[in-house]
Amino acid sequence: MPVFAVNNVLHMTSLVPHIVNGLTLGLLFALIALGFTLIVGVMEVINLAHGSLFTLGAYLAMSTIGASWFAGTPFGIWWLEFPLNVRYFLGLALGPVLAGAVGMLLELCLRPTYGKAPLYGLLLTFGAAIVVEEAIRLVWGTGEQSMPVPQMISGAFLMGGLIFSTYKFYAAGFAIVAILMVWLFLERTPYGAIIKAGAHDSEMVRALGYDLGRLRLLVFGFGSALAGIAGMVMAPIWGLRPHLGIDVVIPAFLIIVIGGVGSFWGAVAAAILVGLATGITGAYAPAWSLMSMYILLIAIVGFRARGLLGRRSALEN
Amino acid sequence: MSQSKISRRRLLTSAAAAAGGVGFMGPWAHNRVYAQATAKPIKIGITSDASGQYANSGAEDRRGMMMAIAEANAKGGVLGRKIETFHLDTETTPATGSRVAERMITRENCGFLIGAIHSGVANAISQVAQKYGVIYLNTNSSAPSEAGQNCHRVKFVWDANGSNFSKAAVKAAVEKFGKKWVLLTNDYVWGHSTAAATKNLLRNYGGQMVEEILVPQGTRDFSSQLLKIQQINPGVVSAAIGGDDLKAMRQQIAQLKMGDKPAWINNQQDWADVYGLPLDNLFGVFGTTWYYNLDLPGVSDFVKRYQAMYPDTYMKVPGNVFYNGYWATRELFAAIERAGSTNNIKVIKQLENLKVSARDRMQHHDAWMDPNTHQMQQTIYLATANVGTKDPDDMFKILGNSAPKDVMDVDSAPACKLETYEATSTFDA
Repeated sequence: MPVFAVNNVLHMTSLVPHIVNGLTLGLLFALIALGFTLIVGVMEVINLAHGSLFTLGAYLAMSTIGASWFAGTPFGIWWLEFPLNVRYFLGLALGPVLAGAVGMLLELCLRPTYGKAPLYGLLLTFGAAIVVEEAIRLVWGTGEQSMPVPQMISGAFLMGGLIFSTYKFYAAGFAIVAILMVWLFLERTPYGAIIKAGAHDSEMVRALGYDLGRLRLLVFGFGSALAGIAGMVMAPIWGLRPHLGIDVVIPAFLIIVIGGVGSFWGAVAAAILVGLATGITGAYAPAWSLMSMYILLIAIVGFRARGLLGRRSALEN
Repeated sequence: MSQSKISRRRLLTSAAAAAGGVGFMGPWAHNRVYAQATAKPIKIGITSDASGQYANSGAEDRRGMMMAIAEANAKGGVLGRKIETFHLDTETTPATGSRVAERMITRENCGFLIGAIHSGVANAISQVAQKYGVIYLNTNSSAPSEAGQNCHRVKFVWDANGSNFSKAAVKAAVEKFGKKWVLLTNDYVWGHSTAAATKNLLRNYGGQMVEEILVPQGTRDFSSQLLKIQQINPGVVSAAIGGDDLKAMRQQIAQLKMGDKPAWINNQQDWADVYGLPLDNLFGVFGTTWYYNLDLPGVSDFVKRYQAMYPDTYMKVPGNVFYNGYWATRELFAAIERAGSTNNIKVIKQLENLKVSARDRMQHHDAWMDPNTHQMQQTIYLATANVGTKDPDDMFKILGNSAPKDVMDVDSAPACKLETYEATSTFDA
């Protein structure tokens, strides 16, 4: 075999783990962007509190698992006797539900801004992000926290002579399930149809007798709960601190712009591209790893202003 | 004759105008002048991060300063003047640091500035401070360049730097863990200048740097870098990663169970960056300047004073960042007292001649301020995780210590060109 071919094979072999890693990273980015894209797509609100709700969901789940609010009480002692697996999955349910409830409260506050300049909604959600972050500081303190993870999804495994994190693959698998479930909900249930119709023509949905206010409330709550789920899943990888949300909003925003605002699969495809770009540059040009997602944005939006799968604008016809 | 009269009148008028002018212009010959004998408070600008990558360390730094200020005020102030503070968030961002420093000096009339974690921020603040002649204490940023090419007459650096820590660790690590090293470097001034110092030492001790992986600030996922390290399979990874980046990295390394192999050397481990993390996240060997459990006189009393002042703080014991913030502030007040004045040049001269006994500093060796670089020369400790401890606060096991003279940063010193006293604006704070 010629020398250059051997080198190519070797290069490909060393690249494979980074492609696998980039794909898992992309799925995690998709999970992060899921709630954000739902709220933007349906309500045309850029929810700058998405990152704070992400963090809040993780903290609430952590407290549920560790029973920190009931520490030392008979309930707390009884609760901690349950295996970590049980408490973990209850945390996975309860944390996002509570984050969703906070999201619904935020939607109620947003109502006076509907129909006004988008800046009002932006400012309000920006303010809400600060309020939620400070509330987290007040309740849980400013220090670093760690999310307990069941034994069966922690640790590491060997693949191709390299160590990979078991949890990261669990998180990527979880992201696939979450993406499919949200898609099935939107595409295969009457509720999903109403939500999509509300995004397409809200006046018609109202004329058909649906309560648009209630619909928006539920969508915002659902999007916030998805943020909370993402927070809980990501906390064991990124760590848990009150300002964690800052790390979330910018990638989520870039992903929906790259994918095309309002496009579900566009966002998923964009997240995987961002993951691959970040993962591969992280290995071969690490100083550019964070910058790579911005370069991707420029490259894609420069050639296709509506993003990968965004709807064609009336001006383009 | 008449010409003579006019001339005399003109002469008298001119003399009066000149005298008045001198009286009026006097203050403007200096940058700003305040009445020295007045009992008005001494105002200190606290330039610590409250947000961004070093928010937690910034809070710890601030707590140290505030304890020193509270103790000084409890004793009646400094030169009989109360200490007042004004804090603005420097946001772990150099541009914000410049803006904050400018505002503190020109609008808030702060006579001294204290605080830094991020070396880029410290550098930005010190450029503004030098412009106005305001003494600035860089409490906790540890890029070798801070006492090298970015040194200033008004700036004093209180933390040990990357070169000091590398000197304490590199030789022994080459001998014990091998010559093949990978450097994992935060992509900003502290990371770069620390990595440069490590590379120099590696060359001197026969080690080989096979790769340097630059990590942008704000990186939360280290999987690519950790895969790359596995592919290279080095004996040692020398990391200069700080703040939230370090926390995320430590957690991910622990998940992969890569903490034992390769050997990890983290140049410096700030207390705020690890406090509260599980002990298995605290692998490898790392440097520090102080630990709350050192068996030295005064340490337990210092810890008690901290706990009395901050009973509700989540950090139950003080760390190295608190220690530096406290000592920098305390030594500034002592220098003002020794100078008998808040004149900046007089105080600078006092700080340049600072010597502190090991007993007073609660370290193992005497410390001193290097008058040529304005960096505090002090004991360096190497530590690792205190595996098996029952006390959740007692996270470090101290492995040994190095005397300041053995770990001096001789490479950065030639690059430091302090401005002359004459070129530094003078004023009384």
